[in-house]
Amino acid sequence: MPSTTPTARAELGAFGTLASAASAFALGVRRNFANWPVLMGRALFYLVAMAVLSALWDKVAAQRLSGTLASALPQGGLTLYVGATEWIALSIAAIHLRLEDDIRLGMLEPHLLRPKPYLVQKIAETLGDSLARLFGIGAAALIALALSGRAGPPLAAFLYVAVLGLLAVTVGVLLMTLTGLAAFWVRRVLPPYLIMQKSIFLLGGLFAPISLYPGWFYRFAMWTPFPADLFLAGNQMIAPSAATFAVSAMIQILWIAILSGLVALVWHAGLRKVLREGV
Amino acid sequence: MFSTYAANIAAAIRTSLMDRTNFILNSAGMVLNDVFFLVLWYMFFAGFRQVGGWGLHDVALLLGLTMLVVAISGVFFGGYRDMAATILRGEIDALLTQPKTVLARLLARESIATAWGDLVMGIWMLVTFAALSWRDLPLVLLGLTCGTAVYVSSAVVYASLAFWFAGARSFARDLTDFMLLFSSYPGSIYSGMSKVVAYTLLPAGFVVLTPVAMLRAPSWTTLAILLASSLCYAAIAIVAFHLGLRRYRRGMVPAG
Repeated sequence: MPSTTPTARAELGAFGTLASAASAFALGVRRNFANWPVLMGRALFYLVAMAVLSALWDKVAAQRLSGTLASALPQGGLTLYVGATEWIALSIAAIHLRLEDDIRLGMLEPHLLRPKPYLVQKIAETLGDSLARLFGIGAAALIALALSGRAGPPLAAFLYVAVLGLLAVTVGVLLMTLTGLAAFWVRRVLPPYLIMQKSIFLLGGLFAPISLYPGWFYRFAMWTPFPADLFLAGNQMIAPSAATFAVSAMIQILWIAILSGLVALVWHAGLRKVLREGV
Repeated sequence: MFSTYAANIAAAIRTSLMDRTNFILNSAGMVLNDVFFLVLWYMFFAGFRQVGGWGLHDVALLLGLTMLVVAISGVFFGGYRDMAATILRGEIDALLTQPKTVLARLLARESIATAWGDLVMGIWMLVTFAALSWRDLPLVLLGLTCGTAVYVSSAVVYASLAFWFAGARSFARDLTDFMLLFSSYPGSIYSGMSKVVAYTLLPAGFVVLTPVAMLRAPSWTTLAILLASSLCYAAIAIVAFHLGLRRYRRGMVPAG
């Protein structure tokens, strides 16, 4: 059974769907800026996390133990890399919780009667929300970098990271959407969320570039969507180049396409289940 | 008071176990979460061997203790997690009419199901990776008791901010998360201001770092510091909560 009546969907059309998604996106941005104390709280959390992580990597870099990977660390350690990956990780809004609530509490059904596609609206709103966070936390990161007196990367790196960061957050939102859609089958999405989150941390390279890990691990990780969420953007902070930037952007766009298809498949499967069996 | 607490928390634990599937899924999810953490650190130490004298065994001890502190707090004092929200929603009104202490009733309101996963993983990590022997068991238990006292006390202080500020709901949780964040990294990385913070506002230093130091190099001084810190934080929590409660009784409460 389709999620909306054919007439309603036909009335809206592709352009109408895009326009309503754009409105939802703008709503997500505005709501986040309106709720600025929360945004500042996130920026504070980012700064605290960075204080701990930069202390860790500064210590490792200062030791430079022979026979370890410390010799492979970039000049200045990995603080800039972790700064970028944490920026992305903390900017991804919790769409999985919104989906869990709507699916579990039976709040999905009223949306299915409306012409605007529910999931597109939710994803667009979450992307807007995440964009505002990228902006707020990013501003805090730049101020902290300037105040720390650390040598930053070349200016071009910031441009690369900004573009890849946007694509990375899109990948992240789609991964969290998949996690939230698990609510069609499990009562609470906390377990799938923890698995997804830690897969992103580990295979995405939150704390260290996956290129530092053993070759087999790196090759395996690169076949998953997780590096597209963190590593590819973070890597530009320590090894910026136009060529890797272009390749990274293409990989991210490819994963956005694959994950979008997967989200659509899981959504329709879940919807069929709900319409057949109820919540 | 203890029998009332035991009865309350036993009821909360039974409630958390009632939905068997949900309980198993949540606990299993937490176990997997902890395994991922261990793998992260394992790969880190495979590459870098040590950080300021801390190796994998030390971090496993740190993580094991942290998981157990969070687990014990979650299972037996689970109300700490949403205490600020409870205060702001005015839900303590009903408790004020009862003869038993409000703070104990609030702490025993809930038992967190995911904490059981942390309990299993914490024990497994200490037994398998932390390079401990059975002779260390009394010190482990002492460290856990003191660490849990500091952790729960700090969480109560953060939650008590809700008696003064409406925004304390998420802020209290954030502060508790910051404390956990500080508790998850080797103590050797902290210096200067971050060390001051780790031993005062976000007392990861007393939750896990001092217990780790006591287990690795036992001394009377460390033991005294640990005991004194847990008593001190518990006293601060009781005073802060009751000062706030006095305001609440007078109706001076921010709107949640």
